[in-house]
Amino acid sequence: MSTTARKRTDHAALFAILSALADNKQAVGRRYAFWCNGAPALEAAVAAAAMTQDELGHARTLYPLLDDFTQAEADPSQVEPETRTLHYHLAFLDNDFQGWSDFVATNFLLDTALSTFFEAAQNSSYEPLRQRARKIVQEERLHEVHGDGWVRRLARAGGAVRRALTQSLERLWDETLCWFGPNDDSVMQQLYQEGIIDAPPDELRSRYLGRIMPTLNGLGIDVPVTFDAATKRRQPAQALPWSRWDAVARRLGG
Amino acid sequence: MNETAGTETGVGTDLSSPQRPRREALNESRVWLVYARRKYEEPLYEIGNVMADDVELARVYARSIYDEFAWVEMVLVPRESIVTVIGS
Repeated sequence: MSTTARKRTDHAALFAILSALADNKQAVGRRYAFWCNGAPALEAAVAAAAMTQDELGHARTLYPLLDDFTQAEADPSQVEPETRTLHYHLAFLDNDFQGWSDFVATNFLLDTALSTFFEAAQNSSYEPLRQRARKIVQEERLHEVHGDGWVRRLARAGGAVRRALTQSLERLWDETLCWFGPNDDSVMQQLYQEGIIDAPPDELRSRYLGRIMPTLNGLGIDVPVTFDAATKRRQPAQALPWSRWDAVARRLGG
Repeated sequence: MNETAGTETGVGTDLSSPQRPRREALNESRVWLVYARRKYEEPLYEIGNVMADDVELARVYARSIYDEFAWVEMVLVPRESIVTVIGS
């Protein structure tokens, strides 16, 4: 019997970010799934089902990559979603959505943030991520149109519907912006310096805000963001809650 | 909205009264007929419809619901744009 040892890659930063991406995709998919028969319209329910399948599919393509790393050897059970006990997804996803507006906020804010990361990895020096990033970015285009459309729909409905939307956006806002990490985040900085992604955290955050702000501005939804006309960069206007940031799990605690 | 500098703040655009029931506020009223074809040499056929007040959402719904084939073309036509020449 051949006993050739498997050659694994030793890269803690890449292992960490792949774990967080897979866990977030898995958690988003599971939360979306609850709304496949609870959306406000039949058409929206079918779209929710399709998006659920996409998100779980993205997680399914990411988890197997973890087994290629030396870091997986410490606890092999952590590379399978069925046996994994670590949960490196946003704390917002720990609980059931409180309503359709939470679905829309997750779709519009978090899913777009993850897509911003995958866009930055489309020419990654790490080929398995590059391949997956391109496919995910393509599939996520429809999700982005859906999120954008529903934010418009809920905001323009006014009254309690608009309030529910803005409350959902507020609950997810800080944690989503934090997900890219502080600008000196050692994981993201290493990935950037090695060409695995093409931008450091502040630039990723600025790109992300550039994608979501036109919609929010157009609807008159107030969010604390500044725009520097000279550099054409957007940044949070208020300090993000880094004291609660868990850099290992990439989520806000307590 | 002025984005030159500072905090981005905007004026709310509340289009309904606070008493308006949530479900009613989200009722869709626009019907879109969905046409598609599987081969370029075929004409477009009506394959179904979707309801959505937002055209972008109508696109998402049509793609999600009528995904049984790898269509080469799919278009939406707002039902309200149809002009009856001979009524049935």
